[in-house]
Amino acid sequence: MKARIEADLPFYFGPGRELFGFYHPAPALGGTAVLLCPPLGAEQIRCHRLYRQLANGLAESGFPVLRFDYYGTGDSAGGSREVDWTRCVADVATAATELRARSGAQRLLAFGARLGANAALLATEAVLAGVIAWDAIVDGAALIRELDRMQDALKVDLNRFDQARPDLDVRMQWQGFETTERLREQLGRVGLPAPGSRIAWLLSLESDEGGRQATWQGRSVESIEVTPHWNDIDRLEMAILSHPLIDAVKRRVQEMA
Amino acid sequence: MHEQAFRFGSARHLVGIMGLPPVIDHGVGVILLNAGMVYRIGPFRLHVDLARRLNALGYPTLRFDQSTIGDSGAGGKLLARPEQVVADVGEAMDLLHQQTGCRRFVLFGLCSGAQNAHSVAHADPRVVGAFFLDGYGHRTLGQRLRHYLPRLVKASVWKQWLTRKRAASGPRPPEPAFVVEPLPGKVVGSQLADMLGRGLKLDFVYSGGVSRYFNHVRQFRECFGRLADHAGVSVSYFQETDHTYVLSGDRQRLLDHVAQWMTRHFPATRPG
Repeated sequence: MKARIEADLPFYFGPGRELFGFYHPAPALGGTAVLLCPPLGAEQIRCHRLYRQLANGLAESGFPVLRFDYYGTGDSAGGSREVDWTRCVADVATAATELRARSGAQRLLAFGARLGANAALLATEAVLAGVIAWDAIVDGAALIRELDRMQDALKVDLNRFDQARPDLDVRMQWQGFETTERLREQLGRVGLPAPGSRIAWLLSLESDEGGRQATWQGRSVESIEVTPHWNDIDRLEMAILSHPLIDAVKRRVQEMA
Repeated sequence: MHEQAFRFGSARHLVGIMGLPPVIDHGVGVILLNAGMVYRIGPFRLHVDLARRLNALGYPTLRFDQSTIGDSGAGGKLLARPEQVVADVGEAMDLLHQQTGCRRFVLFGLCSGAQNAHSVAHADPRVVGAFFLDGYGHRTLGQRLRHYLPRLVKASVWKQWLTRKRAASGPRPPEPAFVVEPLPGKVVGSQLADMLGRGLKLDFVYSGGVSRYFNHVRQFRECFGRLADHAGVSVSYFQETDHTYVLSGDRQRLLDHVAQWMTRHFPATRPG
């Protein structure tokens, strides 16, 4: 285990070396490597540990893995106000090229959570042989309403602030990150592609949707136990963890490889 | 931006990002410690924004993950956590020295990061300054009076309390893991006095998010007495701000504060 961790490599790549990546080498036994596409905003930080655990698990199973940050997020160059959805999708392609070059793998699969799943799905045709999508965003407009609702709740959260903050202090931000009209408009158009055979759908088992299983808008899905939930404003700084999710992704990767 | 990713440390178990200014000529580097369990980019990317701001002012920076946090693994030696922290930050200073020539270092730590910065600043002579954000402090009589007296006479507080009681919506979820374990005030005061005696510059910033134990700038004096008058000490209380600086305007204000403090105490002769 120790020897493999030592081999993991943090580095910058892409045009201008603006993107941060973390490569987890493995023998690429079946000629398949896996790209991990992160979600955006606070969700990216909350998923960091889970993505690392997943990368280690996949590499141990013989799949080279690349984690990376989109421009304007994580350790990549750019500020939060520069996050651009079109660029995020382009960064998936750039990261896929990097992973292919480093691993020598013939086929690339991708895993993504939330908007990370959508970014991978948009890049599928060009660069990826398949996508495992966890809680992909079905309706971008609904996502924006939810992020706005959470920001409104944050504003008056007296467990966080000594007193409620004025609108001016919280506007054009989503849970810790600045946003722009451009990004709002871009994300408002996000949706799902038609069901495809090369997509595996994973869905968190939310407490208020306990019985939802088997199908989801006509798609075959697998439900996963996850805590805490994405929209839990009281636990905004807490990591989202799920061993069942890691097991499910590893199983799906092996099926699709 | 000129940033480089490193895997470093005696067991190559640590991962960090070094930020470099165009010109390095004053020999002071800044090291950013993990805030709680948040990995090296900091809460809401605070450490990334701060490091880049300092790079632009001419200071090299290293934001890194301590052992077993973020992307860093275990060190391989059987050390107690406090010793491991001192060892990790020591290796971070070694790396920054090798890459930039810096021999003096300023530490930046929020919450448990402040606690760790305190330990390292006390133990390692290469540390010449530190930012302690929501670090050590303890409840005082003044803190209790300022906290409870206004609430006794405020109708809205009683109304809110009654509403909560009626709603009975179950127990509140556990607090996020951003808690500084109390250390006896006398021990903290003694260690701070040692640091100041060695010439360290120390900046204490408290947020409204920790009003449960600190709620006014003069509380520092209530906690640590005459240390508050020392020329090497500065204290601020950002009452409206939460513990993790979730709002971008609050983060900007903190960045301005840090930049001004650095420029005042460790001026860069040729800013980047």
